[in-house]
Amino acid sequence: MTTPAANRPHWAWLAAALAWVFPGCGHLYLGRRKTAAAYSLIVTATFLLGLSFEGRLYSPEPGQPLTWLATFTLCGAGLLNIGARALSESPSGTILAATYDYGCTYLLSAGLMNLLLMLDAYDIATGRKA
Amino acid sequence: MTPFASLLPTDHFLIMTLYALLVSAFFALLWREEKRARVLLFVKIFFALVVGALAVAWLMYPFPS
Repeated sequence: MTTPAANRPHWAWLAAALAWVFPGCGHLYLGRRKTAAAYSLIVTATFLLGLSFEGRLYSPEPGQPLTWLATFTLCGAGLLNIGARALSESPSGTILAATYDYGCTYLLSAGLMNLLLMLDAYDIATGRKA
Repeated sequence: MTPFASLLPTDHFLIMTLYALLVSAFFALLWREEKRARVLLFVKIFFALVVGALAVAWLMYPFPS
């Protein structure tokens, strides 16, 4: 069943940009409410769990090329990343915490998931994916 | 730390299982359109992650750091 939103033409770049802003927004714009809600729940939960496990919100460091990749990955999480950096008391995580490595993994995975959602929203809007 | 930090699992296996749950749900939604196919892929990815991690852990057991 198609919703009225599913019948209107979409700007592919807008769908991708909205997907970056908050997980699921791109799919919501494309009229896929249920999948948008599911994506939003999964990616947000992954990101918040990463913060709760005291993972690190990476920033670029000279001489540490992998921190640039990690920063790019985290930037994929859009407003979640920006909000977490603004509100977090310890953006660099707690390296001595037992869950630190898990936290980093959860945070990076949330960023990667949202980057994939951006590509997915773009592909749906351009008709490459049904 | 978040207010619900006391509710979070601290057990390594539980944290890993929770991660496998989230990742497999995400990719099942992303890669499949039909409900049955999604459930099947979810189960496959979930068990591949959990059983794979246990297998690697078992193989690494004789080689402590």
